[in-house]
Amino acid sequence: MTGTSVAARPARYDLLDPLEASRLGGLELFAEGVVEGFLAGLHRSPRRGFSVEFAEHRAYQPGDEPRYLDWRLLARTERPYVKQFEEETNLRAVLVADVSRSMAWSGAPERTLTKLDYARRIAAALGLVLLRQRDATGCIAFDDEVRAVLPPRARSAQWHRLCATLAALAPGAGTAAEPALRRVTDLLRRRGLVVFISDLLLDEALALRALRFLRHRGHQVLVVHVMDPAEAELSGPAEARFEDPETHAAVVLRPRDWAPAYRAAVADAVARWRQDCGRHGIQYHRVTTDTPFGVALREVLVRPGLA
Amino acid sequence: MIAFLYPWALAGLAAAAIPLLLHFRAQREPPTVVFPAVRYLRDATRQHQRRLLLRQWLLLLLRTLLVVALVLAAAGPTVPLGSAGPHAPTAVVLVLDNSLSSGVTVGGTPRLAALRRAAREVLARAGAGDRLWLLTADGIPRRGDAASLRRLVDSLAPSAARMDLGAAIDVAGRIVGGAGLPGGVVVLSDLQGSALGAAATRQPVLVGAPAGAPPPNLGIASVSPGAGPWSPGGGTVTVTVAGDHDSTPVPVTLTLGAGPSRQALVGLGRPAVVTLPGGRAGWTALTARLDPDELRGDDARTIAVRVAPPARVAWSASDRYVAAALATLVADGRAVAGDGLRVGSLGAGASVVFPPEDPALVGALDRALAARGVAWRYGALVDDTAAIDSSAWLRPARVWRRYRLVPTGSGRTGVLITVGGEPWLVRSGPVLLLGSRLEPGWTELPLVAGFVPFIDALVGRIAPGEESAIDAAVGTPVLLPGSVDRVRWAGGSATVEGGAAFTPPQPGLYWLLAGGDTVGALAANADPRESDLSPAAAGAVRALWPTARVVKLEDVPAAAFGLARRTDLRGPLLWAALLLAVSELLVAGAGAPRKGSIE
Repeated sequence: MTGTSVAARPARYDLLDPLEASRLGGLELFAEGVVEGFLAGLHRSPRRGFSVEFAEHRAYQPGDEPRYLDWRLLARTERPYVKQFEEETNLRAVLVADVSRSMAWSGAPERTLTKLDYARRIAAALGLVLLRQRDATGCIAFDDEVRAVLPPRARSAQWHRLCATLAALAPGAGTAAEPALRRVTDLLRRRGLVVFISDLLLDEALALRALRFLRHRGHQVLVVHVMDPAEAELSGPAEARFEDPETHAAVVLRPRDWAPAYRAAVADAVARWRQDCGRHGIQYHRVTTDTPFGVALREVLVRPGLA
Repeated sequence: MIAFLYPWALAGLAAAAIPLLLHFRAQREPPTVVFPAVRYLRDATRQHQRRLLLRQWLLLLLRTLLVVALVLAAAGPTVPLGSAGPHAPTAVVLVLDNSLSSGVTVGGTPRLAALRRAAREVLARAGAGDRLWLLTADGIPRRGDAASLRRLVDSLAPSAARMDLGAAIDVAGRIVGGAGLPGGVVVLSDLQGSALGAAATRQPVLVGAPAGAPPPNLGIASVSPGAGPWSPGGGTVTVTVAGDHDSTPVPVTLTLGAGPSRQALVGLGRPAVVTLPGGRAGWTALTARLDPDELRGDDARTIAVRVAPPARVAWSASDRYVAAALATLVADGRAVAGDGLRVGSLGAGASVVFPPEDPALVGALDRALAARGVAWRYGALVDDTAAIDSSAWLRPARVWRRYRLVPTGSGRTGVLITVGGEPWLVRSGPVLLLGSRLEPGWTELPLVAGFVPFIDALVGRIAPGEESAIDAAVGTPVLLPGSVDRVRWAGGSATVEGGAAFTPPQPGLYWLLAGGDTVGALAANADPRESDLSPAAAGAVRALWPTARVVKLEDVPAAAFGLARRTDLRGPLLWAALLLAVSELLVAGAGAPRKGSIE
C-alpha cells in the first residue's frame, strides 16, 4: 500500500519546498517519499559495509553495488539479491529532538514550517534511512525535561513506533538539553550515533558539555541546528518589542537599525557552535526551515559518511 | 547685526521641533513580536548600544540643524560687512535728535554737542557720489552736500519740540528707499525711552548710543489756571511736575505778569494749587519756574491767564438751575447782577437765549431774532437722546430734548458747541442761542459737576466773545478757533484761517486775534515727556526697530557708510544645509553596526 503510494508520487519529493512536501501526507508517508527521492539521487546505495559476517539476502535496489549481487542466486532464481552482513546492523542510533516552545515558531507560517515540524520530519527521514540500513534507531524528545524516550531497535515495526512518537510530540516549555543527552548513555551501551536536532537556543555550555561527554564515550555525535530564515535576518515593524516565548525576556529596538548587528551576532553564534563542535569531533550542520529535506539530508548524512 | 529679508519666515523655526517630536513619539510602547532568538538580539545590542544611542542623538542634532538652516535661509539673513576703505555711492539720512532732552548736560558737556560732533564726523567721511539728508526734531528732511549739512549741524540748538524717533526713522527709510542708491539711516540720539516709537522701515538703521547715564531731572509738566477768567482779585493755578525720579517736593515759583511771585512745593505726582493775586484786566502771562538743573529747557512753563472784571448778568428766577448757578457765581464774586448780559431770553444787548418752554412761542422768538439780525433761528424740536460733543468749554453730557438751530444765511458760522454733530450753542454777534433749556427735562447738564463752571465760562468768556486758552506742545499742530484770523507772538505774526491747524514753532505765548481783538491765547511749551530722561531699555531698540544696529556714538562715523554693505547668508546657509543632509545620510547609513555573514 505504502509502496504503491510512493510509486505514484513524483520521484524527487526530497527537493520540494519543505512546506509543500509536508502536505504530502502523514509523517510516515512523507518520510518515505522524501527518503526514496533522496536515495535515488545518491546514485549509490546508502547501505554500508558488505563485509565480515553474512547475515541475509535482500532484494537488489537501484544504487546497490553490483559486486554485492549474489550471482548464484540470480542464476537460480532469476531475481537480483544482494548479500548483507551482520556488521551493518551493529550501529545504534538515537535521535535527540528538541521540542521546546522556541521550536514551535515560524517567522512566516504561510511560507515555512515551524522549526518543530521541520525537526520532526527531518528526524523521521533520518530514522527511516537508518532503519533501512538495519541500524537500531531510537529517539529522545525533550524540552525542559525529557518528554519521550524510544529505545533503539532495528525491527521493522520500529519505524512506525518512531513516527508515532515523533508525531505525538507537542511543544513544551523551556529548553534543557543536558538531561536528555545524559539519558542517551542509558540507551547506547556501545558506540553509536547521536543526532541532536535543536534550534540551540539553550544553555550552550551545558549542552556542549553533554555533547562532549557523549563524544568521549565514543559515540559519533551529529548536531543539526535548525533555524528559521526569520531568525537569520532580522526584520519586522519600524520598532518592536521582541519577546522570547520561553523566558519572556524582551528587547525593544528598531529592526532596520539593528539588522546588521543581529546578523553579526547570529554569525558569531553559528561560528562558535561550529568551532566548539569541530574542536571535539562533533559534526555540526545548520539547516534553515526553507531548505528542501533532500538537501538537508544530503548535508547531514552524506558528508559525515553515514549513508 | 543680523537682519532678515523675510522675517515672517522665521516662524518656520517651529518646525525644528519636528525631529525631536518624532524622536519622542518613537519612544512610545511598540508592538510586541514573539521572537525566540532574543538572545542574539541581546548579544547584538550589548555590543552596539552606546554607539547606536550616540548615533541616534547625532542624527537628531543633524536633522534639527538641517531644518534650522533651511528656515534661516528662507528668511534671507544678511549681515553687515566691514566698513574699512572707500565706499560705493551711498544714500544716508542723518537723524539728529535735537529734541529738548538733547540739551541736558552730562559730564559738563551738552549731550547735543556730542551728537553734533558725531554728525560732523559722519559728514566728513561722505564722498562726492553720496546722497545726504539731515532730519532733526522739526521733522523736515533737508538734503544737501556734506558742507551745507555740516553748517546746519553746527547751527543746531536744542529744540523745544519732541522727536518721535520711530516716525523719523520711517520718514528717513522712505527717503533712502527712493534715493536709488544703497544706503541706510543713521540715528544720533540720546535714546530717551519716551522718544522711542515703532519703525516699520526695512532699510538698515545704524543707531549711535551716547555713553554715560543722564542725570536725574524734573520739569514743569503743566500749569492750569482753570476754565474761567480770573477776577482782578486773583485766581488759583494748579501746577504739576514731570521727571524721571521721585524726589522730595521741589520749590516752584509762580509769577503773573509783573505781579509778585509766589512759591509752592511740588512733588512728582503731587500737584500743588496756588492762589495768585490778579492784575489789570486782559490777557497776562503766568510763568511757573523751577530751580535750574542739568536740563534747563523744561524748568519754566508759561501760560496765558485772562483777567476780567465780573460779568454783569441779568437772569430770570424762573430758570431755576441757571439762577442757582449764577447766584453762586455772584456770591463768589465772579459775576454781578446788573444790566449787562441777559441770560435766558433775548434782551436789548448781549443775550444768551434759551428756547421757550412752550413750542407755540418759538415762532415769535424766531421773528424777534430775525428782527435783531441774528443769523440763526430755532428749527424743529428733537426728542432724542444725544451727547454733547466734547469741547474746550464742556465735557460730554447727555441731551434729551433740543431744538435744531438753523442758520438763516448762507453760511454756518458761529457754531461753538455741537450735539451729535449738530449746532447746539451758536453765536451771532452779541447773541448766543442755546438749543436746549438748561433744565433736567432737556439735558442732564444742570445735574453734573461741570454745570457751574460752564455757566461761569458762558457769561465770563463765551458771551464776551473770547475763545479758550489753548495749551500746546512746540512743533505739534493745533486747530485754531473758527473766529481767529491772525496769530501774533513775540517776534512775529501770521495771518491764519479760522479752524485751520497752526504749529507753534517755538515756546512762548501766541495771541489769537479776531478782527483786531485778542480773543484767546495759545501757550506753547515743551512736551512734558521730554522731562523724563530715562534711556530706553536695552532690548527696546531692537524690538521697535528690527533692522537697527546699535553701536557706540564714537563708532558711528566708521560704520555709517557701510550700512548698505551687507552680505547675504542664504548661500552659506544652503551649503550648510546640504552638508548637514549629506552628513545625515552618512551617519544614517555608515553608522550602522558591522555586518556579518552566516555560514
